Amino acid sequence: MKRMNQTTMRRLVSIGMLLILVVLFTILAGSGKGKFFNFDNLIEVVRDASIPAIIGVGVTFIIITSGIDLSTGSMMALVGMTMANIYAYTLLPFRVMIPIGILVGLLCGLINGIIVAKFNVPEFIGTLATMSIFRALTYIIAIRDDNGVIMSQPMKHTQYAWLGGGIGKFYYVIMAMIIIVVTGQIVLKYTRYGTNLYSVGASKKAATLSGINVAKTRIIAYVITGFTVAVGAVFTTARLQSATTAVGVDFEFNPIAAAVVGGVALSGGSGDVIGTLIGALFMATLENGVRKLSINTAYQYVIKGAIIIAVVIFDATYKARMDRKAREEGAKEGLE
Amino acid sequence: MKNFNWSKYSKPIILVVFVIVLSILRPKAFLSLDNFSNVLWSVAVIGIMVSGSIFVFLIGGIDLSIATLCAFSAVVVVSVTHMLGDTPVAVIVGVLCALAVGALAGAIHGIIITTFKIPAFLVTFASQSIFLGLAMVFTNNKIVSCTVPAFTAIGAFKILGFPLPVYFMVIIALLSWYILRKTVYGRYVYAVGGNPTASEISGINVKLASIICYVLSGLTTAMGGIVLASMTQQASSGTGSGYTNDVITAAVIGGVSLLGGEGTVPGAIFGAVLMGLLNNGLNLMSVPSTHAGLVKGLVIVVAVAFDAMQHADQSRKKVKKIKKASA
Repeated sequence: MKRMNQTTMRRLVSIGMLLILVVLFTILAGSGKGKFFNFDNLIEVVRDASIPAIIGVGVTFIIITSGIDLSTGSMMALVGMTMANIYAYTLLPFRVMIPIGILVGLLCGLINGIIVAKFNVPEFIGTLATMSIFRALTYIIAIRDDNGVIMSQPMKHTQYAWLGGGIGKFYYVIMAMIIIVVTGQIVLKYTRYGTNLYSVGASKKAATLSGINVAKTRIIAYVITGFTVAVGAVFTTARLQSATTAVGVDFEFNPIAAAVVGGVALSGGSGDVIGTLIGALFMATLENGVRKLSINTAYQYVIKGAIIIAVVIFDATYKARMDRKAREEGAKEGLE
Repeated sequence: MKNFNWSKYSKPIILVVFVIVLSILRPKAFLSLDNFSNVLWSVAVIGIMVSGSIFVFLIGGIDLSIATLCAFSAVVVVSVTHMLGDTPVAVIVGVLCALAVGALAGAIHGIIITTFKIPAFLVTFASQSIFLGLAMVFTNNKIVSCTVPAFTAIGAFKILGFPLPVYFMVIIALLSWYILRKTVYGRYVYAVGGNPTASEISGINVKLASIICYVLSGLTTAMGGIVLASMTQQASSGTGSGYTNDVITAAVIGGVSLLGGEGTVPGAIFGAVLMGLLNNGLNLMSVPSTHAGLVKGLVIVVAVAFDAMQHADQSRKKVKKIKKASA
């Protein structure tokens, strides 16, 4: 038997974890109408997974360079609110608003990238700061009623509503996810930029010495994340038919958790977009399944946290074992 | 003035400038005695928490569960006090229970992080959700209040005009300064943060040292929760929300590197004072709390970018000197 590649093994393990979770919830929460395991609900899970997966593509790029982005949730709210505001004032058609939203996302990403790569602010702190800056800006630009209370901005536009739906159960957001994930995977594996990302993540010094423009590579990764966040925001506002200041609160950890569950190492230099997609599906299944257990929300938080810790522990021990095995085999080969 | 060392005095200068600006902008409101104790309270809570969390930052870890652990311990102290009949003894037992919860939570963090070599960021992110859930379970998702005099005294009692939490902060900060500066363990903490592999090889029990750091962080977080609950006379799953960012920001402004190995307690306390003043100033300028994030975020970026630039400057100067010497 040919020895299996470690990456393939890791992929099989994450798919296995996803399947185990599905089986677990099917047993605990039941199958059939209104329960966990039925076609409608599973499509709903995929739909829930699509926005973390779309944004996860950009976040994966950043994590591969050993960076992180904590501002995605706030950025999503800012993009949505900007679009809703422009819509409220101008009533422009949505084909004009979407490019504007994308532009805002790109700009936010660029700001993150410059702070991190040009001013050498550690990624964690820099994006933690922009997380509160983007959120505050969302509140500042939000339209208020006469009493100063923030209104949720309606975006009732027939064309926009169309975007929130799909062809039957095959939602457009799922199609967008498939397109972006596939494109992301191709960029990562078959372009020079993708290779550069891995080199930067493995060693910034080595990358610089071999002629890679490290700052530019990192900034582009943040700009790409800005783009994916904007796409996520467009679909979120389309689905909600409105923009609120509460969009994306605590969201920023979802794409990161998806990436980590999917085998992207936070230390950088490894992982890919398909892994993040599987991770996003895992997290969405967990979220949905726990909700379908119909228990107190308080326990839902506890169970969610416990399962994430369990998965991360499993992943760490698995990886340590694989590394040891590889080392032993290497030693054996060396002896022969 | 060519040799004036800006980096050495930058912190006190920033503080003085800040106080002057605030006194000019809001002379009546800012310079009143009432406001002074408001600032002190706010500083005390952040100061208490950062004095313990600094240990975690120094070994290159992070704690994202500060806010919800703070909520959970606040809920524990109030619930236990209530369960035991609201007597002064019950308050003491409640406080001890909350501290035990904090220490235990920290120990669990530390054990999981060091045993399985998982990034602290992930573990504390997941446990944040767990503590939030537990706080909700204990309170049935309601606000529980506690107006027992023995309990409210923790936050409100004044000695020589200063509220009790300020004394707690001073004592805890001094303790943690002493541990970090004067004990062998303190040296270990800096060593582990600087280079874990080298520390391991030179015979430091890295695992134990790290676990203790997380325990200390959990303890001070619980203390912060107790003080907050006592000051507001209530506890809920929302107690202390926003404090994770405030504590991390205070540490970072104070020159603590989140990469580990760098930072001091006086620096972190300076950060806490600045955060307290900032919160207070924004409040007095009637900036809504939802907009305050803009200012706080900009402060972090500028402070850290400034620091990073100075570091780069210093290393450049060093390289120049070496080149000159070799030439």
